[in-house]
This record gives sequence, structure tokens and C-alpha cells, in this order.
Amino acid sequence: MINLQNVSYVRLGTCDLDEATRFATDYLGLEISEHGRGISRFRSDVREHTLCYFEGDPADHTVAFEVGDASELEAAAAELDRLGHSVRLGTADEAAARHVRRFVAFRDPSGNAIELVWRPERLGNRYRGCRDAGVTGFSHVGLCSSDVVRDEKFWTKVCNARVSDRIGDSALLRIDEVHHSIALFASDRAGIQHINHQVESGDDVMRSHHFLRERGVRMVFGPGRHPSSSARFLYFEGPDGMVFEYSSGVKSIADELLYRQRQFPSEPRGFCYWGAKPGIGEFRDDPVKE
Amino acid sequence: MIAIDQLRYVRLGTRKLDSAVEFAERILGLQLVERSDEAAYFRSDFRDHTLVFFAGEAADWSVGFEIHGHDAFSAALDELSQHRIEVTRGTEAECAARKVRSFAAFRDPGGNAIELVLRPLHSGWRYFPARDAGIKGLAGVALRASNVSACEELWTKLFNARVSDWVGDASYLRLDQVHHRLAYHPSSASGLLAIEFGVEDVDLLMQNSYFLQSSQVKIVHGPGRRPTSNQIFLTFAGPDGQLFSFVTEGDVIADDAHHRPRQFPKERSSFCAWGSESQLSEFC
Repeated sequence: MINLQNVSYVRLGTCDLDEATRFATDYLGLEISEHGRGISRFRSDVREHTLCYFEGDPADHTVAFEVGDASELEAAAAELDRLGHSVRLGTADEAAARHVRRFVAFRDPSGNAIELVWRPERLGNRYRGCRDAGVTGFSHVGLCSSDVVRDEKFWTKVCNARVSDRIGDSALLRIDEVHHSIALFASDRAGIQHINHQVESGDDVMRSHHFLRERGVRMVFGPGRHPSSSARFLYFEGPDGMVFEYSSGVKSIADELLYRQRQFPSEPRGFCYWGAKPGIGEFRDDPVKE
Repeated sequence: MIAIDQLRYVRLGTRKLDSAVEFAERILGLQLVERSDEAAYFRSDFRDHTLVFFAGEAADWSVGFEIHGHDAFSAALDELSQHRIEVTRGTEAECAARKVRSFAAFRDPGGNAIELVLRPLHSGWRYFPARDAGIKGLAGVALRASNVSACEELWTKLFNARVSDWVGDASYLRLDQVHHRLAYHPSSASGLLAIEFGVEDVDLLMQNSYFLQSSQVKIVHGPGRRPTSNQIFLTFAGPDGQLFSFVTEGDVIADDAHHRPRQFPKERSSFCAWGSESQLSEFC
């Protein structure tokens, strides 16, 4: 069993690093950790970075999870290797670029690039965003899946994830007390489906809705409230079509024994109980009209 | 000093009673309690009714406030007369139409029609609305006036209203512990600006917001949060040009002695802390 401690960072390729950096700072409101030499890293909380853009293929996405210690990292690599995933130990240069001591890279059954990291850096100085978006931290990712039932097995059997709820076949998976850190959505592509940052309050969600809309950022879902996690949310489109989410008030599952996963319908009401209709392909059964 | 017990009702004249009834039931989601060719009464809470549409002109509207006790009611009428405010006692038929024992009408310095009522009807039955809009009751009324300061003086000197905040010249007045029940907005003419109903919580407010959008109701302001009262609000167009709002949350001012009215600038950000825009000159 691979014990994922938390979701550490995402790495995204982009053809226009300056534009992506502008979005991450001016719109998303994150703090620049480092910018230059073909990469930009951004903070969203005490960690050295939780988002990294690099010059490269916009379809090249990676999500990283932290593991507890070096022996767990080795055991995880051995287990993944045994299961036929091709596992690669990151070089010292690559680890330095990620600000982690050591990491291994592999692909999940859908082909999503995943990294397991040991000792990712956190900083002593507090996080301060470029705008007052109220961001409290990078919190979860949606992952594209070519077979959500198979992938749910991978994350829950090979790794330590537990199903918190399902919307249709899409599984919302937790690795700690937070309702979900990974969400699996059926898709005909591989990669990250959306990137979530938590904000302080529902007011922050609504403020960003007006702030971003006035600046021409494309809203794709919300403002709304998820019946599953209880979080108030807003989804909007960033560079290269990546969907970003702000949310606030995500449910915490403190008692593993008492909690029962629930099944929500794969329809707008399963995603929002305020009545917002998703404009995100993976959240719909029918094609999205542009 | 005249003590207002509570904001009681709003009466609205309309040339199109049928469509007003449809709006109140289907859009606002209120409970129709009585309907005739002349008028339709709607409940929003424990009271017999808080909104009446009657066959007439849209310019003919009034806001009713309850005075508690016969002596206080008589004293109120005397006090208004002493201040040379013309007061008209309601006839028996007019009282019956309002479902009150007595009432008296006068106009505020802006010319807005105000009614003071004695013993308005209560209802013993649970409020059961036409749609699950989560309405908790009539929460407030916003009026327009060309002379807001004179209106404010009337309510704070003759009546027991207190100023909670100002935005520019607009004045927010409280009658109980709720931040405001009555708001005056400066305008070239007098009139009714908005009738506000409280809803249970932000979820109901946002559900109503999406419901109104899908029903193609014209939303004129919000959803947003008022920096003054901290209410979350949604304001939309009613059938005859007046506005309706759903509001929720909001500050309670329990300690009158320690509350100081605050002056906010007359600008968009003073009317919404979320950044929602409005075309209405009162809110920008």
C-alpha cells in the first residue's frame, strides 16, 4: 500500500510562459516563488511551490503526492514496478528543480504522469498572494480517466485513497480528512482535468467570480455549491484550456468508521445544489456547446 | 416618541392583478391567502399577510407599520398632528381591507405613503408557500426621496428609528435589532424602490438566484453582500417597475448605545462587497 500524505504540486507545460505567469499571479492571485529560465513556480500556502509552469507541451501535466519517508518511497517504487508501471527515479537535478529531496515518476493506469516526492520544501515566511483572492492553499486535482472503475481500484487498492462520494461513476477520493484530494472523471484524454485552490470564505468565491468575469476570464461552472463536499465553488478557464477551481468550506471526514460514501446522479443537480449548470465536458453527459 | 412595533405590510396598486398574482406566487414563491377581483393577499411568515396587490394604479402604494397598543396608537396620531403632519384615519372598509382594527395614513416629507396600524391579523397556521423559496418573512423596505435628511429626521425624531449607516446621503434605519428595516435613497422623485424578503440562508438565496435566471426575471443587482448590513442580497424587477429583493444573514445591532452609524462613500463598492454591478443610479 502506497501511503499518499497529501497532494504536493502540479507541473504544467505551456507554450507561453509569460502569459501563464500573468494568469497565475494577476488572476489566480498566487505568489511567485521563482520565475525565469523556462519555468515559473508559484506558492499558494507555506510550501515552496504548489504550481509550476514550464516551457513545453501544454498537454504535459504532472501531479505529485508526498510520501512519508525514504523507505516508503523505495517500497512504492518497487510495488509500482511489480505491477508493471514503468517507474523512474528522478535525477538529482530534477529533484532540485522540484525542491524535493527525492522523487519517483510513473504513470497511472490512464497514463497520467504522477510523481511521488519525499521531503518537499516548505518555507518559513508566510504566503502572500499577488491579489487578495483569499487563497489558503492548493487542495486537490481532478484527473482524467479512460476507465474510472479501473482507476478507482488503482488509487484505493495500490494507494491509500478512500472513496468519499461518487457522482455517476466519477469517484471523489480522500487521502486524509479532506473530502477529496483526487477526483476521477471519465475523459478521452489523459492529464489533469482541473486544479483546485481553497479560498477563505464563500465571499472570496463570489468576489473572484466578479473580479475574473470583469477581466474576461471564461467562467465554466458556478458560482455554486457541491452537494457532495458541501464546498462553494467557481470553475474558470486558465491558460491552455486548463480548468481552475476556487472553493471554500469543503467537508472534513474525521471519522473513517462512521462515514458512508454516497452516490450522486451524473447530472447538474449532482454537481450543484444551487442550480448552476456545468460547462465542463467531463461534468456532463452531452457535448458542451461553445 | 412614537414606537414602531414592526414593519407590517406593503400594499401595491396594479393594473394587471392577474400577472402580479402570478409573479408573487411563481417568482417570489409567497403563499396566496385571499384573492378577490379587487385584491390578492400574500403571506410570507406568521402574519396573515405582508404583501397585497390591489386593482389600481402602480403609483398608489403604501407601507404599513404596526403600533402596539391603543393608547400608543392614539398618542402617535396626536404627536403627528402636533408636528403639523396631516393624518387621515382609515374608514371601516379601509380597515377591513387591511385586516386591522384601526389605521391612520400620512405622508413622509418625501411624499411616500405611510400607514400606522393597530392590531393587524396574525395567523395560527404554518406558513406554506407556493414554492420552496425559503422565505422567512418581510424584512425591509427601501424608499426613494428627494429630501432624505428630512425623512430621516421624521423617523429618528418623531419615531423610534435609529440610523445604522449612511452610504453617501442614503440612510439605513433600524426599528428593532436588525441593521435596517427602512432605507431611504436620494432620488429626484419619491417612490417605492424595493421590497425585501428574508430567506433562510445563502444556499436558498443562490438557489433563488439561479431559479430567477432560468425564469428570465430581470436581476438588477447581485447576488452580492452589502458592506453596511452584511446582508447577502439579490434584487430583481417586479411586475410594475418596483423592485424586490431576497436577503439573508446580516448584522444584528443588539447594543444601541455602542453602535455608531458609519459613513460609506457613494460608490459601487459600498453597495456590494462582492463586486456585483448595477445599472440603477441608487446603487452605483
